This record gives sequence, structure tokens and C-alpha cells, in this order.
Amino acid sequence: MKRVLIVDDAATVRMYHRSILESAGYMVEEAWNGIEALEKSLESSFDLYLVDINMPKLDGYGFLRELRQQEISQRPAIMVSTEAAARDEMAAYKAGANAYLIKPVRPAQLLSYVRLMSGEANQ
Amino acid sequence: MNSLPTNPLLEQFLSESRDLLESTGKKLMQLEEVPNDQDILNELFRCVHTLKGNSGLFTFPEMTRVLHAGEDLLGMVRSGNLTYSRELADRLLDAMDFVGVLCSEIETTEKIDASRASESQQMTEALRMLMPSLTSSDDAPMAAGPNGRVANDPIRTVDDPGSGPPSLRSIPDAVRIAALEQCRQGDQLYWIAYRPQRECFFHGDDPLNSARQTPGLMWGRVLAPEPLPSLTEFDTYSCLIGFDLLADAPREELDQHYRYLPDQVEITTVRPMWLVSGQGVEDGPSKASSAANRTRSLSDADEDAFNKILAAQRQILLLEDRPAWHAGRLKSVADVLTNLSQAVGETSTRTDILAAFEDASATDHNTLLLAWLDGHKNMQSNAGLQRLAGANDEIAIAYAEAAADTGSSLEIDAGKVAADDGLKFCRRAEDTGNVPRSLKVDQAKIDRLMNLIGELLVEKNALPYLAQRAEVQFGNRELSREIRGQYSVINRIADEMQDAIMQVRMMAVSFVFQRFPRLVRDISRKLGKEVQLVLEGEQTEADKNIIESLADPLIHIVRNSLDHGLEMPEVRRARGKPETGRLTIRAAQQADRVVIEIIDDGNGIDPAIIKRKAYEKGLIDEATLERIGDQEAVNLIFAAGLSTAEVVSDLSGRGVGMDVVRSAVEKINGTVEIESEVGKGTSIRISLPLSMAVTQVMVIEFDGQLFGVPMDNVVETVRVPRSEIRAIKQSLTAVLRGRIVPLKALNTLLGIPSIPTPNANDELAILLVQTGSEVFGLMVDGFKETIGLIQKPLGGFLSGLSAYSGSALMGDGSVLMILNIREIA
Repeated sequence: MKRVLIVDDAATVRMYHRSILESAGYMVEEAWNGIEALEKSLESSFDLYLVDINMPKLDGYGFLRELRQQEISQRPAIMVSTEAAARDEMAAYKAGANAYLIKPVRPAQLLSYVRLMSGEANQ
Repeated sequence: MNSLPTNPLLEQFLSESRDLLESTGKKLMQLEEVPNDQDILNELFRCVHTLKGNSGLFTFPEMTRVLHAGEDLLGMVRSGNLTYSRELADRLLDAMDFVGVLCSEIETTEKIDASRASESQQMTEALRMLMPSLTSSDDAPMAAGPNGRVANDPIRTVDDPGSGPPSLRSIPDAVRIAALEQCRQGDQLYWIAYRPQRECFFHGDDPLNSARQTPGLMWGRVLAPEPLPSLTEFDTYSCLIGFDLLADAPREELDQHYRYLPDQVEITTVRPMWLVSGQGVEDGPSKASSAANRTRSLSDADEDAFNKILAAQRQILLLEDRPAWHAGRLKSVADVLTNLSQAVGETSTRTDILAAFEDASATDHNTLLLAWLDGHKNMQSNAGLQRLAGANDEIAIAYAEAAADTGSSLEIDAGKVAADDGLKFCRRAEDTGNVPRSLKVDQAKIDRLMNLIGELLVEKNALPYLAQRAEVQFGNRELSREIRGQYSVINRIADEMQDAIMQVRMMAVSFVFQRFPRLVRDISRKLGKEVQLVLEGEQTEADKNIIESLADPLIHIVRNSLDHGLEMPEVRRARGKPETGRLTIRAAQQADRVVIEIIDDGNGIDPAIIKRKAYEKGLIDEATLERIGDQEAVNLIFAAGLSTAEVVSDLSGRGVGMDVVRSAVEKINGTVEIESEVGKGTSIRISLPLSMAVTQVMVIEFDGQLFGVPMDNVVETVRVPRSEIRAIKQSLTAVLRGRIVPLKALNTLLGIPSIPTPNANDELAILLVQTGSEVFGLMVDGFKETIGLIQKPLGGFLSGLSAYSGSALMGDGSVLMILNIREIA
């Protein structure tokens, strides 16, 4: 079973994403900021990361940079943001994101991205 | 759009919103002290940002709109484009209050009342007003959110007299002629082409509602501006429709109505010429939407889908049925089939289906519907099927469900999730692995548990009596011992249960304290005073009832301090004090009591003024006026009917003063003391029991009757030889531990004829009690044990007996009256 780490400081958003992913058979772990996400990523490996940008302590960019630079994981990461600005999107890719979605993400959209990114689409 | 799932997610949303609102309020308050603290600003921004993001998961445009404006505003402050001001804080606090109100509304009704829309817009405008020039901010990154529409962007007008009229011919003749008549009379009509964005649902828009609410709406139609996609690509979350509307309201009203959607609305002034016939060929909206029904050949996928829908209906009909669901299923199948036949143009079959449905409902049997289905297996060969591509979204949903039921390919799976997640969310509540660390329980349930445990505590006291009877009355010592053994076990468990429930009912005083920063801020601003509020010991806990009944007295005291205690800045400066006054509210646990102190460094209370006022109002006589000391005088502030404020303000009320505080505190067995020094400040100290559910009571005996005295009042029990009791003037006294203590006989206090009886050594039993700071001896016949019991207030005509604070049921079934020491003293 594929494991997804949801990193978001909003509990409501985490619950929303969790419900969508779990209903499609994913195992979901949650972290509420970048630091906690890094800790979880060190403890165990995930197939995919779903990362919010604006979070306390360590934001989404910072988390992804650490994740990539410290070579903790190179698994795909989807950045989820409320900002549609190209600037933010570019920053996300620079930090190490593989996709950029605008909140609120529709269930179908989220799942198709997650499937694609976690390499299931080819199976 | 109500397709998003609600309950557990909504609950989560509400509880998170409440937390976020609370910290937003706190942060705004902190920011007043350090206006440019970037950390606080960042956190504040994030709170509002998260709130907005969360609200976007639901359809609460009223809330999202306000939060979005708040977020933009804070974004500007954060990036230095706007300076933080008190006005800004006020507007933001108002906005957060409004969001709080909306949350409560959602909590009770699961929706926001439509009447809130205008409030929301006012609130949003108030926030946007504070933003610097909107044209420049349009390019600023903060204002350019996905739906960061700019409020006063003028709505585009297509008003070129040379250009041809828009598709006015879709207006039915009757309406057109009436409109023409209106035009001739000089009315100005407008043609509004509203094309909502595809993503509009996610921006909190409700296009249908906006269109319907168009002021002066005369006629309107729904259309599909672009050909609808094939079913496999159909996305039910996109808005694929548009509106053409004809309205006769003034232009300003229309602009006002659509001011948030300037990029999606085109308003054209209708020229009478355009309305003059010739163009109207079509009539009625049903045909008007034919633009959407552009005939296209049906793809293989669509045909496949159609078959799947039929198969699914068949499956539904063949399900083993529980009778209760039967009717619903039949109805659903009939609806789907009707829609389906309509979509493929087989309107003639509609009556067949209805007949089949009616028959099926009447006989509770599926045969006819099944037969119809079997007969239409080959419906796809019909020419009408070619038009399935233009079907409405109901069919799309049916398709998704049907496809999901009959095994799924990858693309269909996405649809399944969209259609099903309502169900998934409901299930999540029970089987989620995400176990909450705390549990929210209805207060009523805890209260019930508390009452039951209270009863248990009382009932268990019957066991020692039973043991006694077993021994004395039935001579069975063995049984008596066994009962006592059992009793001690039950006793221990009951005590632990009581302890546990007390823990559950414990609440931190922060519940009451948290409202003070805002309260102090608002009041001091109103009064033009500078006040720094210091809260200490917010984590101190006490029983829920205690905490709850603490709120009102505390607010009263704080208001008093702000109103009468702390001086105006210039007065403070003149007195050599810092301009900013200091108000400290401190809570701490001391032994089994919670002590709350409210300390201000203001005026203090002048005993001379109090004395004079009290005398003027007849609260004290001339002799007392001469006699009483300063402390006693200050205590007079708690006397009913004394208000010392030189100007009666609207804040602390009129004449109802600290006596209300005192009685509220004493009602929960608390005490209140005051210390004050003129010019230096005032300190008020409230001491409360940790819990009021179970009262420890000492049982005393007098004239063959038993009475209870709350242990809170009991100082000690002594026996005094009758010879050592002296009469000073009219009252009896005794010297105890080097102190002269007044003695009062219970008989005189309660009006009982018999007098206290001494024991064999000619000693009298004296219970030393305390009320407030007064200590006296109560002469009784004898002392009994101390017991814990649940006090019940006196009801009915007994409630007038102020000498008793309540009654309790004893283990042997008798009733114990609890004395109210303060009242009888």
C-alpha cells in the first residue's frame, strides 16, 4: 500500500485530504509543520508528499529543500497552495516540488495527481 | 454546490475555526503592544490565511469573502505596504467577531442565513477601504489571489451603439413586447450576460443565486456558452453554464450587485430597436438551451456508459430488498430512467416508465420496471441517443455512480470518489485511525454522571446503618462485619469515582480570563485610558460551575477598576505615575481553594468618601460613622446600594455595585476581600472552593435534632466549662486561645425554646465558626461526624428560609438541614 505524508497546519485541510486519499486506499500520515514532517520522513519512508506552503516553524519550501538537500527522500512531492501566482509555483519547483495544485483541490484532481506521481498510472 | 461532504469535516472545521479565531484575537491584541513584530504578524497572517483556506472547502461565500479581505489586508501590513493602526485592528476584530457569529450559525443550522450576505459585504468593504489605492495593489502579489477580485473595478460596459444587439431573440415574445413597452415609456433596460468562471464554485460564488437575485430581473435564461464536454470528460465541479438576463433596475444597482464579478459580467444598455420583433423565433428557455444540445455523434465511451446505467438500474431492481428501502429504490430507478430517456430524446417513453413505476409502487413489485428495462436494452440504437452528449449533469452523476457500481476503470474511479465521498466521510468518523486525544462530551452528560455519583455517595451511607441493624436488631455479628467490609470497598470506589468526575469537571480559569484582553482593550479605549493587562495563572483549575459563575463577578470588578480605579493618562502623569495603568488578574490554587486577585494601580478607594456616602445613604448611623476604621469603611463598598462613582457611567452600571459581586461570590461559597490605598491602587481578592459539588459538613446536635454546618465555616470544636463563659453587656463571650470570642446559642438564633445543655463535666460544646473575617462560637449540645454530601437547595415554600443553605439526604433516609452561618450570625 502506498504511503502519503500530508504536511499542513490546518487540521481541516488535513482531514479533507486524508479522507480523499484513504477512500482510494492510501495509507496516510500527517504532520502539521515542516519540522514534524522532517522528523516523520526520517523515521519512515513515504511514496509521496502532499505539502502546504504557509506553516509555522518551517514552511513548505523549507521542508522540501531540506528533504531534497539532505537526501532524506527524492520521492515526488505535490505542493498545495492557495496562491495561483506563477512566482509561488516557480518557488515550489525550485524547492523540490514535482507538482503544484491550488486549494481547494477537488477529490478527482487530487487523486489523479497522486496516482500519476506515485507511479501507479502505468500499472 | 452541496456535493462536498459535511458532518465530521464540518465539525473539524468549526472547532479549528474557533481556535484560530481565538488566537487571531490574541495576536491582534499583542500586536497593539508591539505593532511591528514580524513574528506576530506572520502568525496572525497564517491564522487568517488558514481560516480562509478552510472555509474554501465549504460553500460559505459570506465567510470566505470577509476572510479573504482580512488576509489581503494583513498581507499588506506584513509586506510593509500598509501600517498597522488601531482602526485596522478594530476592523479586523469586527470581522473576526462576524466570522465567529457565522461559525455559531453554521454550528446550529449547518448553513449561513442568506441575510448575512449584505453584512458580509459591508464587512468586506470596510476591510478593503483600509487598503491603499486599489489600482496599484492589483499587481501586488498579495492581492492577486485566485479570486482576488478588486472591488471597485468598473464593470465592463458594451454600449457601442453601432454594434449589433446581443442574442435578444431568445426572449419570448410576451416578455419582449412588455419590455419594448417599458422602453417606450422611457425606462432603461439592461441586458446582462453573466458567464461564471469554471472554478467559480471554489471561489465561494453561487452563480444561480447571483443571477436570480439580479435587481429588477424581468427575464432570464440559463445556457451553455460552450459545447458541453463528452461524458467521460464531464467535471461536475466546474461551472459550465452561463446566464442571459434582462433587468430594469438602475445601472448603479446592477453594478453594485455584480461588483465582485466584474470580469464575468457584461452589462449592455438595451436599445428599444433591438426589441422590435423580427428576431424572435424561439420561445421559452427549454428550447433556448438548445445551443448546448449541439448534435454530436456519440462516442463509444458514451454508449458504453449508457449501457452501464441501464445495467446498474437493473441491478438495483434485483437487489434483495428491505421493505423500508423498496419505495426509495423504485423512485430512484424511475427517475434515472425518465431522465435518461429524456436525454436521448425518447420523451414518448416517459409515460411508459411512469406507468411502470406506479404499478411497481402499488404492487410493491419490480416486474413492470424490469420488463421495461429488458425491452429497452437496445435503446442505444435509437436515433435519439445521438443527443446524449448534451445531457444534463444529473445524467453525469448517474453515469458516475453506475460506472462505479459496475466495476471501474481508472478514469471512472475519479468520478466514483467524487460521488461517494459523502459516504466515506461519514464512515471516517468511526473507523479512522486518527484517534483524538481529547473527547468532547455534552455537558448534560457529565452533569448526569455527577448526579448519579452524588446519589451513590449518599446511598452507600446506608450500609453502616444496615450493619448496625444486623448486629443490634438481628444479633448477627458476622453479617454485620461482612457488610462493613463491603462498605469499605464500595466507599473507596465511590470516593475515587467522585474524585474522577471532579477531575473531568475541572476547567482552567483561562476560560474566563480569555475574554479580558478584548474587554479591557475595548473599555479602556472607550474611556480614553491606557491600560496594560497582566494575566497570571491562567492554567489554574477549578470546578466547571465555579469557573462559570466566576465570569460575571470578575467582569464587574474589572469594569469597576477600569472605570473608577485607573485614572486618565494626564491625571496619572500629574501624580507621577506611568501613563499606562496596570491591571493584574492573577489566579492561584491555595490548599483546596482557588484565589483570584484583581489588582490595579489606580486611584484606590478613599475610606472618607465611602463613609460619607454610606452615612448619606443611611447604610450606617452616626455612631458607626465615628467608630469604624478605614478597612471597615472600604469593606462598605460591598454593602448594597452604595455606588461611589462620581459620574455614573454606562460601563459599571448605576448603583448596582460590588454588593452584586459579593452575593455572586458567596453563592458559590466564596469570599471576597478588598484592600485599598488611596492613590496607590486597589486589590480585590476572591477565594473560592475548588469544587462545590460535594460539601463537607460537620453534623451537630441540638435539642435532639441534627444540623449540618459546612466545614468551610468550621474553625474548631471546643468544650468550655460553663464557669468560663462571661456576659459582656448583652452578649456571652469566652476567652479562647487568648482571644475574646462572642458566643451565640443556636436556640436563640433559630428560635428554639430549649437552651444548650452542658455535659457531665458542666462543659458546653462550642463550635467555632467563621464567616468572612468574623469568628464566633456556636453553642450546641454535641458534635457528630463529618460527612461529605450533596447539598440540595431548598425548594418550594422552604426556599424562604434563609437560615438554611440547603438540605441533604442522610444514609438512614433522614433529612439533614444545613445551616447558613452567614445568615444566622
